[in-house]
Amino acid sequence: MSTIRRFRAMDLFRFNNINLDRYTETYDVQFYLNYMCKWPDLFTVAESPADTLMGYNMGKLEGEGELWHGHVTALTVAPECRRLGLARGLMRGLEEASEKIHNCYFVDLFVRPSNSVAVSMYEAMGYILYRQVIDYYMSDGVMPSEYAYDMRKALPRDVDKKSIVPVKHPVHVEDTFF
Amino acid sequence: MESRQLRPIYSALEQSNPKHALRECDKLLRKHPNLHGARALKAFILARAGEIQEALALGQSLLDTPAAMGNMHVYRSLSMTYRALARPQEEIQVYKAALELNPNNETMLCDVFMAAARNRLFKEQHQAAVQLNKLYDDQKYLWWMTVSLYLQAKYLDQEAAKVQLMLAERLIEKLVDRLKSTEELRVYLDVLDEQGKYEQMVKVMGAQGQLAKMIANDPDLVTLRISLLVKIEDWEKAMEAAVATLDERDNWADYKLYIEALVASISRGTDKSDQEKAVFSVQANLQKWAATTGRARGARLAQVALSTQLFAAGITDIAESPEKLVWSYIEAFKHKAICYPDVMQFIVAHIGNTKDSQREATLNYYQQQLEQQLSETRSSASQDENHAQAWVTLEKLRYLVQALKGDTDPGSWLAGIDALLAFGLTSAKARKKQAACSDMALVASQRIIQAAFFAYGEAETREQLHSALFKSLCVMEAGIRLNEGNFLLKLYAIRIYLYLSCYERARAIYETLNIKNIQLDTLGHLIVGHGISLGCFAADLELCYKSISFYDKFRSRMLNDIQSVYEEETYSNIQDFLEFQSNLVQSMQHDCTHRYALRGEGLEFGSSKETLAKWKEADVSSIEHTEESLDTLHDNRDTLVMGLLTPHNMKQWNLEVLTRSMPMPGRGWIQAFSLVPQIMHHLVCADADALRTKAAKLATLIDRDALEFSEADLLFARGIVELTSLYIKATDKNDIADHLDKLLDSINANLPEDDFDSQPNALFMLSSDAIRNLSAATELFTYMVSLRHALAAQRLPAANIVGPALSQTRKRALKLVNQLRSWIDKNGRLLIEEQWLNEDACAAVSRFVVESQKDTFAMVSKACTTSWLRSVRNILMHWEQCTF
Repeated sequence: MSTIRRFRAMDLFRFNNINLDRYTETYDVQFYLNYMCKWPDLFTVAESPADTLMGYNMGKLEGEGELWHGHVTALTVAPECRRLGLARGLMRGLEEASEKIHNCYFVDLFVRPSNSVAVSMYEAMGYILYRQVIDYYMSDGVMPSEYAYDMRKALPRDVDKKSIVPVKHPVHVEDTFF
Repeated sequence: MESRQLRPIYSALEQSNPKHALRECDKLLRKHPNLHGARALKAFILARAGEIQEALALGQSLLDTPAAMGNMHVYRSLSMTYRALARPQEEIQVYKAALELNPNNETMLCDVFMAAARNRLFKEQHQAAVQLNKLYDDQKYLWWMTVSLYLQAKYLDQEAAKVQLMLAERLIEKLVDRLKSTEELRVYLDVLDEQGKYEQMVKVMGAQGQLAKMIANDPDLVTLRISLLVKIEDWEKAMEAAVATLDERDNWADYKLYIEALVASISRGTDKSDQEKAVFSVQANLQKWAATTGRARGARLAQVALSTQLFAAGITDIAESPEKLVWSYIEAFKHKAICYPDVMQFIVAHIGNTKDSQREATLNYYQQQLEQQLSETRSSASQDENHAQAWVTLEKLRYLVQALKGDTDPGSWLAGIDALLAFGLTSAKARKKQAACSDMALVASQRIIQAAFFAYGEAETREQLHSALFKSLCVMEAGIRLNEGNFLLKLYAIRIYLYLSCYERARAIYETLNIKNIQLDTLGHLIVGHGISLGCFAADLELCYKSISFYDKFRSRMLNDIQSVYEEETYSNIQDFLEFQSNLVQSMQHDCTHRYALRGEGLEFGSSKETLAKWKEADVSSIEHTEESLDTLHDNRDTLVMGLLTPHNMKQWNLEVLTRSMPMPGRGWIQAFSLVPQIMHHLVCADADALRTKAAKLATLIDRDALEFSEADLLFARGIVELTSLYIKATDKNDIADHLDKLLDSINANLPEDDFDSQPNALFMLSSDAIRNLSAATELFTYMVSLRHALAAQRLPAANIVGPALSQTRKRALKLVNQLRSWIDKNGRLLIEEQWLNEDACAAVSRFVVESQKDTFAMVSKACTTSWLRSVRNILMHWEQCTF
């Protein structure tokens, strides 16, 4: 339980309890503002009853035709707020917006295979391993370099579930651009 | 033809070679002096190179040539010139001049609009939007008009606001059936909100059809509707709407509004049975939701909130006991880390609303519950993570209850700490990096720090304070070794290392936090400036430059963000972006960092010529402050991130404030350290009048705002005032003796003592003031060298008195600093073991460290010694280089 609302630029001044987590990247300010500008309803934050930020989900829309989809760019929850189902709540919000507002075919995301907790959560939410992406994650001094799981979940518009037919062979990063 | 001629210039610019581009411009202009495109490009290159006056003159000459504006090379280059120079009015002038030659050109009109929008010229942006709307059939322009009117009303003309808002409302009414997105709806709601038309807002939001669907899919708007019903005091409908929403989703903001509506409605009623009925109905709903899978936490916390608010409103007979509900909540959720932050605000609020006589009883209730549960929870902690987390939650509550009871007994703050340390740092679960274990290490550290300040906070016992804080560091470092991901342990460790004058290790931990971008503004205060005060001048300067580069980058790009809002038609972002930009552009931390950078640069050593040129060429006009300019500064520094277990206003228990090694710089500090470079500039430029004024201002400031300055900063700032007096009196060589003596005394008094090694409290002196004072003395000496250079250029006889005196001081300093370095090298770690580990302070912690954290102790002890050595070596190197 929390208040889930749109992320605001002013939140950038107080998201340290989330972003000081070593696995969470702090991007350029313009990166966040760009998401707020372009996809305001896909960038949401959870706020606690004590008015602190608990976690956020940054998403965007991309693709054309049957590849039109919602994409999860960053999903993160403050250490203190884990094991509450918050990440699931934030994901559900993004899925609903992708489905009901933007009429997408599917939602996709990239995740480190070593992040087994996240992979299990996505699987429990109906995401499948669509393909593996070679050398997707570069080492940043904190985390090692790693390939990525590209995971997908079909939305009702994809009646035949075409978007989630797995690709057998690993692909390169450039093959993932829409 | 012209494009071909300009191609080499564009190529050079594309290759990021502005010097070559400028040469190409000049070459071309020698052949064709009136080639407008080349002149505009030259203006742009000059603007980017910082040749502002030249760029402006060239730009103006083009603006004065109307025909030039028909040239697209001029149009683009000149507008970019003015953007680079942050001269929006001139940029708009370029577009308008071009429009005269191409009337009604849509792109150019849009350029005018965007230039105005980027620069908060709301009137101009409105005028451009009106023209666009008149000429082109695009609904977007109508929204641009509306938004511009709204912004004018909100930020500019209070008198015209009413008319502007009415106009905006009428414009939207024409579109209300054709709203494409909730972004447009939000503009409408903002316009109505600004006029206080809440009933109308409710009506708009109650619409059917497509709009209703849009609202239903936007969680923020669903909550907004309930809040509006509360605002118009339609309690019944507000509660109905809240119930309908809460039946569908578990959202805290909706619970809050539901409770607010209920409490407000029954507070006005007089009929007891009606009140009871209303409360029971809400309680029944909360119980219903609490029984729903996955929703217990929200609904049960709402029960706590309800009873707390009923008590606060004086409706105590219907309310359930808040403390019992809190405790019941704790019992249900203590195994979640969020449990403590969830209940803390309600405990504090309820205690605050309770009469003195009842307060103690309530706190005793919590204490009894805690006593009953703690021993049981401790013994079951090893079962699984849930049990361990429950223990942490109860420990945090014990902390709060102790603080609320006003407990200042160090013994009781340390009670139970051995169990926390043992489980948190040495148990099998700790070795498996269980998150609850590092939280235990954190709570234990917080308790040690708290106890240390209560026991040894007074001046006469501060030696033991350092011993206790050192032990807390051992605990924190042990916790970090087990779980590198616990950033709170790292934040506290940074604070304590700095408190003990250990910059190097604090900085190393800071680096592991990977703080960057916006965090440099909110968290930079943790470390920026501490290097200057602890002899690590270059390291601090490097960090200052990193931060300044972030701010500069943001300033150069931020204008585009506002433009994007209009391009993307996501108008709900505008106010938020404007506020964000204003907070970041006028950031207090920016100014602090900038002044620290100036201090760092002031410490950079060079030849006499270089030093004088540095101060002479310094752009000091940009750092002149007025009370008004200081009023616009925003303090974005994040102090809440320290994870306090008590409310911030409980000063004696506020560890964020207690662990500061120097005061957080504020307005007075910024003003003072803006004056120092100005003083040096005027001194080198021999502007005695300006010098007198600035020195008097500095003297007043350091008296008035003394609490904002550390002792070392005060020492340095007072030295600068004295140095100014010396310079002013330097016309007669006899006159300067007093001032010179005072300055040198001040420096000498802050050098390490000759018999430092025989001082019984040498370790305490080292870890408290010795390095700080030495740094300040070093900084002051460096400025005195600059003074001597200025005197040599302007008043040679005085320079001939100052020079030898400085040489003598330098010689003495070199000897003493070298002695200090050798002493630390030889005795540092030994004394730490003798004095800090074996003291009586926090005996339980000492025992724990000796028995089970020998490696960590050795590591912390080495880190402290190495850090002190690094600081002193840097200072020694500085004195060695400081020749003249």
